[in-house]
Amino acid sequence: MAELPKKTIVVTRFDPDKDEAPRQQRYEIPVEPDWKVLDALNYIKDNVDPTLSHRWSCRMAVCGSCGMNVDGDAKLTCKDALSDYGDVVEVAPLANFPVIRDLVVEIEAFMEKFQKVKPFILRAKELAVEAGPTHQSPAELDDYRQFSMCINCMLCYAACPVVSNEPDFLGPAAIALGHRYNLDTRDEGQRERHAVFRDDGGIFSCSFANECSRVCPKHVDPAGAIQQAKLQNVIDWVTRLLPGGGGER
Amino acid sequence: MRRVLLVLEPIIWGLFSAGMMVGGLLLPAWALVMGVAGPLGFAPTATSYDHFHAVASHPLGRLVLLAAIALPLWGGAHHLRHLWLDFGGLRSDGLVGTLCYLVAGIGSGLAIVAVARL
Amino acid sequence: MSELRPGVDAMRPARAGATRTADSRPPDGFPGASRYRGYLGFGFGGFFLVTVSLLVLRAVWALGNGEAAWDRVQQSFQNPIYVLFHALAFLWLTWFTLRLFRLFPKTQPKRIGPLERPPDALLVAGLSGVFVVVTLVVAAILWGAF
Repeated sequence: MAELPKKTIVVTRFDPDKDEAPRQQRYEIPVEPDWKVLDALNYIKDNVDPTLSHRWSCRMAVCGSCGMNVDGDAKLTCKDALSDYGDVVEVAPLANFPVIRDLVVEIEAFMEKFQKVKPFILRAKELAVEAGPTHQSPAELDDYRQFSMCINCMLCYAACPVVSNEPDFLGPAAIALGHRYNLDTRDEGQRERHAVFRDDGGIFSCSFANECSRVCPKHVDPAGAIQQAKLQNVIDWVTRLLPGGGGER
Repeated sequence: MRRVLLVLEPIIWGLFSAGMMVGGLLLPAWALVMGVAGPLGFAPTATSYDHFHAVASHPLGRLVLLAAIALPLWGGAHHLRHLWLDFGGLRSDGLVGTLCYLVAGIGSGLAIVAVARL
Repeated sequence: MSELRPGVDAMRPARAGATRTADSRPPDGFPGASRYRGYLGFGFGGFFLVTVSLLVLRAVWALGNGEAAWDRVQQSFQNPIYVLFHALAFLWLTWFTLRLFRLFPKTQPKRIGPLERPPDALLVAGLSGVFVVVTLVVAAILWGAF
């Protein structure tokens, strides 16, 4: 059997107990032709260096765990073919996130931002079960469906220049999800969410770099969601100023 | 200062959007004719006082010129403020943003006067 | 408004975790990488929006001051630096507007009541066509056709 070709994976390592700052470590490994980047990392952990730490789970681009920076760009390592890269591949933790260890980043800030947009159906008064199911047409579903496809992989946060320059920014995934609920016919929480969207670090901090949509592995198009939300927000803001336009849910 | 800008953000964004549209549609033609063709002598009527005064003092002309001056100022001011933020200027955003929008605001005010006095 | 610093404090949580974390790194390649060129070029278009509209203001103000003032401004525009500036502004703002229209479709909702958003390619072609027509009409008016 022919020997497998080799690639050098240059991995960013960081052990908070031993390292002042992140450093790079090189691993030369044999690679199979159909491998994803994640397969290479798992090979390293299983056969070369068991101390390597990285997050992964489903291996099929639905759980959002394995986001990392590969050759300087935010990627889902279970989706990204290793053959797309040269003989030397740099794997680093996601940009724009504090690093806990090696390729594992601190995602708590995302959870905080996420909760701010209240990503669930908000109703002034819950419908009684006896009222039966809520009806939603295919067209109404289609209005928000795309924005509901987010797997929270946070590649968009890693790519966004505003996330870097304005740490209070809600960020692409959180806004896209807030917008998803604003578009849902079952929801009555638009006013509340628009108030959050208008706050410091809200949607108007977005400068439409479109990097989020470029890196999104599920084609959610958060940039589109944010720009749509801006227009909706201005309309909401104007109607609040008009007599009789105020009032919460 | 950043707090004040935050409160005004929806209206600033509205003016910025309109400014990009109007500026993008009207200013390239202006730059080409009044900035290049006219000064180089290819469009003698363009630089003539009588012709431009006739066009500009027409009610529609005044309106279009007002839009062509005021709105792109807001569009450009907002772009420049965000460019400043892109290069790490968060700390001075309140000051820089206010300066940018002051230029837009004063320019808009002067534009109203300029077209009114024609 | 928190005291978080750009870059190093990106995505820093409100409460510190159990272990020491390494600082955030900004995205690789900003601002020089080719993928940022369109975005930064678009942002810098703001410079031309401001300067050209201020020059329009200058011309209109001079118009209000009378023929002599108008002629002086027109004469100053003959300076090669002004001509080069306006030529660059024309090219940059044309690119700016076409890029704006290319991005426009996704900023609109998919549907307004029964009206569906037209296909992106159609919207972009239509808007670009509007740009060409308006530019020609405005140029014709300024040139002296009307």
